[in-house]
Amino acid sequence: MKLLYKEFALAAHPTLYLFLVLGCLVIVPSYPYTVILFFGCLAPYLTFLFSRETNDTWYTALLPVGKYGSVHAKCLLIVFVQVGQLLFSIPFALLRTALQIPPNPAGIEANVAWYGFGLVLYAVFNLIFFPTYYKTGYRAGKAFVLALIPFVPLMLLVETFGHIPVLSWLDSTVPSDLLLQFPVLLFGILCYIGITLLSCRMACTRFAKVDL
Amino acid sequence: MTPLLSVQHLTKFYPGFTLRDVSFHLQPGRIMGLIGKNGAGKSTTLKAMLNMVHRDSGTVQLLGKDFFSHEQECKQEIGVVFGGIDFYPLKKLSTITAVTRRFYPNWDQAKYESYCKLFSLDEKKQLRVLSNGMKVKYLLALALSHHAQLLILDEPTSGLDPVSRDELLQIFTRIVSDHRRSILFSTHITSDLERCADDITYLHNGEVLASAEKMAFLRSFDHLKTAEDTQPLTLEEIMLRTERRHFDETAL
Repeated sequence: MKLLYKEFALAAHPTLYLFLVLGCLVIVPSYPYTVILFFGCLAPYLTFLFSRETNDTWYTALLPVGKYGSVHAKCLLIVFVQVGQLLFSIPFALLRTALQIPPNPAGIEANVAWYGFGLVLYAVFNLIFFPTYYKTGYRAGKAFVLALIPFVPLMLLVETFGHIPVLSWLDSTVPSDLLLQFPVLLFGILCYIGITLLSCRMACTRFAKVDL
Repeated sequence: MTPLLSVQHLTKFYPGFTLRDVSFHLQPGRIMGLIGKNGAGKSTTLKAMLNMVHRDSGTVQLLGKDFFSHEQECKQEIGVVFGGIDFYPLKKLSTITAVTRRFYPNWDQAKYESYCKLFSLDEKKQLRVLSNGMKVKYLLALALSHHAQLLILDEPTSGLDPVSRDELLQIFTRIVSDHRRSILFSTHITSDLERCADDITYLHNGEVLASAEKMAFLRSFDHLKTAEDTQPLTLEEIMLRTERRHFDETAL
């Protein structure tokens, strides 16, 4: 918790909070909602870039914590933003239903399945981003671009589900379809936990070999 | 007496440079100067000691404990100042302190405030507006406020004016006067060490050329004296004659 406090007080880029509250965009009547997840990927990129420029890694290395501690803190910060953004969006998604806003013509609905897909997308991003960044401890741009290579096609794939008749239940907000979507959410949660833990572990192993 | 710090056979291979078999000991209450020309391996030695670079072999003991297997515990006992490295330049000193103090159970707030007063540090200022000398003083205040027994300083006086350097050297001497704390001080400004160091370790091309109490160290280089030298050589003369001689040999 001390390290997480350090992340918020010293290392977090101010736009991190902006990307977190952009979860509210699910209330926009016509919008490709997976773009919100892309904003959630910009948050780690800018934060890692900011950390590099402020010598955050150097400061942390001198604290009485191991090298792993500094990686854990960063991963925890990013998990906070990604999960926080999705949680923050829930009241807006519910409000959208309550206001009986017509279905989203631009892409998939912000329904139970979307949250599941969102967690899978974040897991895939983390799997590439964390280990790539911590291979050197400073190449945030390279890590971001490499992580986007699987992320963007998956993002587009999720957006097309609404246009494939056989998968129309994934783009629905009808209660019976929402029930069918719960396994997707469960899959997303398991993927996110498992893959993010794995990516954090890989990042630790790689960072242990980095010479500061 | 158990040394406060004991570095044994520290080795690190880089393509084109090797830090080879670096060993030295530092007793409590002493200031050790780590000298050597640029690129001799001073900073690499300190970083390898602190596990900031991955060593290939060697051991480091702090207060009798193995540093690498008790890293977190050992880091409670040390304060580190790397000259020229700025953390969070846009943050106020008070914010950096509020974070740093959480990592040290022995943090002494009254002591910190007294050091801020002594060093004329304004906590409301951002780190970027401090002069280099004031930055070093701030980092020293942080290190001293958690009762660090060993201060590791990498080029702390480089780029400082003579008045600020003099002030810092006086502070260093005061710190070790309790015969409990020690300072390991890397520099290429040898005149600073003439004034305050008790022991000298000389790194040359990644290897320890000599490591001894200052007078013994100076005497060990008597072979470099010429007929005109009636006094012991200064550290600067030792460095110049050692490094220049090799340069001349290469040139030939």
